[in-house]
Amino acid sequence: MVTEVAAAVITDIEVMKASQIGMKALAAAIAIVGTAFAAAWAEMAIGSAAVGATAENKDIFGLVLLLTVIPETIVIFGLVVALLLIF
Amino acid sequence: MLAPRQMSRLLIVASRDQLDPVIRELYRSHLFHVEDFVVDGREGYDGFSIGKPLPGAGEVSTDLVKVRTIENAFLIRSSEIEPTGKHLNEELRSKIEQELPTIEHELGELTGRRSRLEVTLKECEQKITELLPFTEIPMDMEIYRGYAGLTVLAGYVSKEVNIPEPAEVYISAGKARRFMVAVFKNDRRSDVDRVLLEANFQAVTIPVETGMPRARIDACNEQVAQAKAEIDQINRRLDEIRDGHREFLVACEEILKADIERAEAPLRFATIGQMFVAEGWVPKDRAAPLKDALNGATGGRVFVTELTVGEHDPVPVEYDNPPFARPSQLLMDTYSRPKYNELDPTIMVSIVFPIFFGLILGDVGYGVLLLFMCLGLRKFIKGEEGQQLIAVLRNASISSIFFGVLYSEFLGFPMPWPYLLPSRHLNIGANATGHGPNIPGLMMMAIWIGIVHITLGRILSMVNHSRQDHGTHRIKTILANVGWILMIWGILFLIWSMVPMPYMPDLTGLPLVVMGLNVTALIGIAALIVGIICIARESALEIVELPTIFSHALSYSRIVAVGLSSVAIAMVVNYIAIGMLIGPQLENITLVGVIFIIMGVLVFLIGHVMNTALGILGGGLHSLRLHYVEFFTKFYKGGGKKYSPFGLNRRFTED
Repeated sequence: MVTEVAAAVITDIEVMKASQIGMKALAAAIAIVGTAFAAAWAEMAIGSAAVGATAENKDIFGLVLLLTVIPETIVIFGLVVALLLIF
Repeated sequence: MLAPRQMSRLLIVASRDQLDPVIRELYRSHLFHVEDFVVDGREGYDGFSIGKPLPGAGEVSTDLVKVRTIENAFLIRSSEIEPTGKHLNEELRSKIEQELPTIEHELGELTGRRSRLEVTLKECEQKITELLPFTEIPMDMEIYRGYAGLTVLAGYVSKEVNIPEPAEVYISAGKARRFMVAVFKNDRRSDVDRVLLEANFQAVTIPVETGMPRARIDACNEQVAQAKAEIDQINRRLDEIRDGHREFLVACEEILKADIERAEAPLRFATIGQMFVAEGWVPKDRAAPLKDALNGATGGRVFVTELTVGEHDPVPVEYDNPPFARPSQLLMDTYSRPKYNELDPTIMVSIVFPIFFGLILGDVGYGVLLLFMCLGLRKFIKGEEGQQLIAVLRNASISSIFFGVLYSEFLGFPMPWPYLLPSRHLNIGANATGHGPNIPGLMMMAIWIGIVHITLGRILSMVNHSRQDHGTHRIKTILANVGWILMIWGILFLIWSMVPMPYMPDLTGLPLVVMGLNVTALIGIAALIVGIICIARESALEIVELPTIFSHALSYSRIVAVGLSSVAIAMVVNYIAIGMLIGPQLENITLVGVIFIIMGVLVFLIGHVMNTALGILGGGLHSLRLHYVEFFTKFYKGGGKKYSPFGLNRRFTED
């Protein structure tokens, strides 16, 4: 009787652990998906404006390159959060 | 180092008859950055006007236009030609008079003939397409025209048509689009039109030709072949001329351009009466030799003096860096050239950029690939900027190899020695074992780099403000930067006193002093308060910017994040190629297995080539961004004017 209960408890704990790992993985995925979407969206607008501006004046290439990569931070923070969640 | 080259402001005054020797000497020395004279009522320049070009400028311009026209026709670009030797000026000038008109004449004749042939070619091809449908009906082309009472229609119909009699109809075999010729009386036109409209008739113009269509097409084809052969011949002749005169033409362009720049130089000087005044900039150490040279060229009939440099003078900026840092000037120019009274951070960029790149890519295999690519491309890429870019990439790839050794990575595989930096090896694949990456350790490393880099930026900002500002404003701006540093380190002290972290001092064990805070926490709070006061004293609006302390320091975690993503791609490629495709097949080789192995090799090659390309983009752009956004915004403004001395770097000619 006691051994049966103990076995059931151990199985429960294992299931809980597994679902925790699963939840962590899901959370990490959500972090990446959301931030990647945001970064892509922001870069879409900035990038197209930047290409237009560069066509007008080639000298500002450095500046617009800079402006274009600024939203990259969003997805990198997402990646950092995801990595910290998993490891 | 850390500052642009020192400049002197020179004022040159002489009588107009000395214009030519002065300009010649300035042009030869290639040192004098001319400050263009503008009539704007500047003090001391009342009554001055802009000079007139030297005589002969008109003819030289005409010659230059001729040379450039020829160059354009031959698609010659001087930047793409490596000089084999230098042409002597005098020889070249006599050659310009003799050879240039001959080349021009021959070129005109050949290109004229070519365009006439091309017109013929087009006409013939057009004729062939017009005649082609009529080949189906074996009838002389003359039969189609010349009737007063009859109408002849030709075209395509999409289905069977029944043209009411009396009419003569030829219709080709076929299903969808059938060619048709109909001959009928003029007065039946409207009936025929109605029938044809139902059959979706598309009219074709009947070519005005004589003879059988097939024979006519053959004749046209012959003409086309002949014209093509002749065009080929002309192109070969043009190639011959181009190859024979390529260097002569670019040398001509160079010499004529020099002549024009010299002849038009007085347009940039101020003149009054019989006198002219030229103002400009010369590197400080070259001012005295230039003065002597000008005196020598004019026999002492020139007055040259050094003016004092005002604080707001638009001094042109020339970099002054040791050779290893020079390629990084490209990265500086992409952002903005430093101002004259500003720190020039090129050296720091030239050291830190490769380090960041190496920390991100950090793989011996990719580093070696990149290094070979740079060494290979060096021969093919021409122009100063291209060479600089290659040199920057070369340094970055060497740094990647170095950090690859420290990370113990080769194309995603571990090397046979332990990690000297926190591990980046992910557990990818079915049988992956091991400790996995040391993410907290990597993060702390990145944050430390960020804190040091940002603090350095703030210190440089203090230096810049102490040079550029005056009075109380200077003290305020310097203190504001001290405030920012205090804020960063105050927050760090607070964190250390509360949370133990890897690679950071653990100060949680210190005895508590008051309200559950220990000494370091109190130091941290004090630093925060002083910091905020210092920042607010300079500008209260800056308080809004306080969160950037976190966001900028955390932004350095991209060094880890981008690097890990590149490691992950490499390991996935390895797992798919070797673990899934090649490995299992090697145990028992079959015909299908060989195909799998070949696929595995392909996946391996393509995957790693793509990852190298991503590595350059990721490593390069993100390191650059850390410089531009996180580092430069602390102290660097830029906006300096490039020092471009009067004269030309002569590649093809010499005196």
